[in-house]
Amino acid sequence: MTATETGHASTNGQGPPGAGHVIDHSTQAILDRMAELHPTGQAPAAIFNDRGIFELEREKVFAKSWLYLGHESEIPEPGDYVLRYLIDDPFIVIRSEDGEIEAMHNHCRHRGMQVCRSEMGNASHFRCPYHGWTYKNDGSLVGVPVQKAAYGDTLDKSELGLLKLANVDTYNGMIFGSLDDDIVPLDEWLGDIRWYLDLFTTRSPGGLQVVGAPQRWIVDVDWKIAGENFIGDSYHTLMTHRSMVELGQAPSDPKYAMYGEQIHVPGKGHGAMCIGAPPGSGLPPMFGYPDDFIERARESIPTPEQYEVAKETRIGLCTVFPSLSIHNPIRRPDTEYEGSIPMMTWRTWNPIGPGKISISSWFLVEKDLSEEFKQLSSWSYLRSFGISGTFEQDDTEIWTHIARNAGTFTGRNQTVNYQMGMELEPDEDWPGPGVAQPVNFTDANLRNFYSRWLEMMTA
Amino acid sequence: MSDDVDAAMRRQYEVEQFLVHEAELLDESRLEEWLGLVTDDVVYQVPVRINREQTGETRVTGVRTDSFHLDENRASLQMRVDRVATGFAWAEEPPSRLRHVIGNVRVAAPGEAVSEHLDLDALGDDDLVVRSNLLVFRSRGDRPEHDLLAAERHDLLRRVDGGFRLARRLVVLDSTVVPTLNLAFFF
Repeated sequence: MTATETGHASTNGQGPPGAGHVIDHSTQAILDRMAELHPTGQAPAAIFNDRGIFELEREKVFAKSWLYLGHESEIPEPGDYVLRYLIDDPFIVIRSEDGEIEAMHNHCRHRGMQVCRSEMGNASHFRCPYHGWTYKNDGSLVGVPVQKAAYGDTLDKSELGLLKLANVDTYNGMIFGSLDDDIVPLDEWLGDIRWYLDLFTTRSPGGLQVVGAPQRWIVDVDWKIAGENFIGDSYHTLMTHRSMVELGQAPSDPKYAMYGEQIHVPGKGHGAMCIGAPPGSGLPPMFGYPDDFIERARESIPTPEQYEVAKETRIGLCTVFPSLSIHNPIRRPDTEYEGSIPMMTWRTWNPIGPGKISISSWFLVEKDLSEEFKQLSSWSYLRSFGISGTFEQDDTEIWTHIARNAGTFTGRNQTVNYQMGMELEPDEDWPGPGVAQPVNFTDANLRNFYSRWLEMMTA
Repeated sequence: MSDDVDAAMRRQYEVEQFLVHEAELLDESRLEEWLGLVTDDVVYQVPVRINREQTGETRVTGVRTDSFHLDENRASLQMRVDRVATGFAWAEEPPSRLRHVIGNVRVAAPGEAVSEHLDLDALGDDDLVVRSNLLVFRSRGDRPEHDLLAAERHDLLRRVDGGFRLARRLVVLDSTVVPTLNLAFFF
């Protein structure tokens, strides 16, 4: 790891995971096949369940990306922290005494024990339970038991602070970190997807709050299958979520998720969907938020063009490459509620093995909405998405079987199809940045996601 | 045998019979019948659990009061049950093989508060506060792997028409990261 005065945690310098990792033949064959198939709108199924691909993704994609760590509202006060993972490394994401956000490797510099043993809290110090080395909440090593007797004058505590991520930055309250010391600035990494992130994050002058702690659970699926679903697969809704259509909890128009616009950011892998109202559906504007919310949004959203797009959107989705997704749909808390109460969930799809992820799912709501609305919105969330969501339950069930097939003897040699909408011309009149398609029944965002993946995997 | 012990044994027996019957309905996915056992004002919650050091008196730490895996009322439970009945709820179609194993059933004497997690303002004269330990075994598909979840349930049982109805259930999971792909079943 890069040794500086305070120490940095990164994959550069002396750090793991091994730079110059030798790619074995089978992994290289999968990548070669991907390069061959990708221009035709296909991909080898093996990318979804393969040990070599998984190892290489950690090194080439996840260690070289800006990854989502949390939201500023989770750590509002000095000393507030949450424990979050980059790949499988635990990091203490903390607000310092002077209000800065930092991420420190939860790894004692003495023997490597975890010094923080809670998922969230407030701390002035972290004391290692092994030998008692004690760090201030800015990471500096301030206490070594019986230092004089044990080490004499040989221990330079200033060199032994907790290792920090060199790159931690925020966009509209979203905290990202990177293990790569040489990564481009966050603003450049996000690029044009910022325009669409604004639609979810700038609607209220009071800003967003994460409510409580995330649901976390394990699913036997590849992270890309989850990410591609949220970036541009509105086509699955009519079959996967048919139970909710039958119950009247999703529109019966089989094309309901087709309307609106699908946008991707070339070269960066990010994408968004702004799904509009089906003709004649009478769905209220701007995701179904209350009128006073919409008024505040008019003032708060950066540009009139963004306000108009938000107003026309009923179901918003976004994936920030590689592993952060956002979903913000019009919804109802239960079948008896008359009217609409939208909800917003953010989640990370963190790979923990070939064809295996850990999902963290957060619920967010604007701070200046009423307590009653926040309660109803949390119900709209819990009953549709997340681990028990009546929509998402069926996604995870289906995804696991895709990942399983991708790892079988012959299944791994099959291809998967991303050819929908290859003939479509971009919508030149769309007011936002990126490449926009005038319908959501297209795999354009998915193809762009995999272009970025392939570029990073073969870099 | 004193009257007190006799009454306590009768309560214990009645409560255990109720819980065992309920578990059978859940195991066999007879969900419409199960709904018949809950009150119209039922509150059914599974809070998120996080890993935390002891900060207060209890060593049962990290039970969130602001974040849930399930937070249900009668209408939303009905929606979940109706969903399975559509035949298109892929998460439970084909159905999981479920086994609810209940033990350590603790029945409080009427009016006695034995759960720090239940709002006892709602406790009526005939209501019983019951805690039980639960293991849920879940098997899906044609592979031998299974999911196993452990929890303590805090229930409020109300006497209705000579039987019990579930008026409140709070499920304190023993997991932080939940080891199953979805919660498409009830605890």
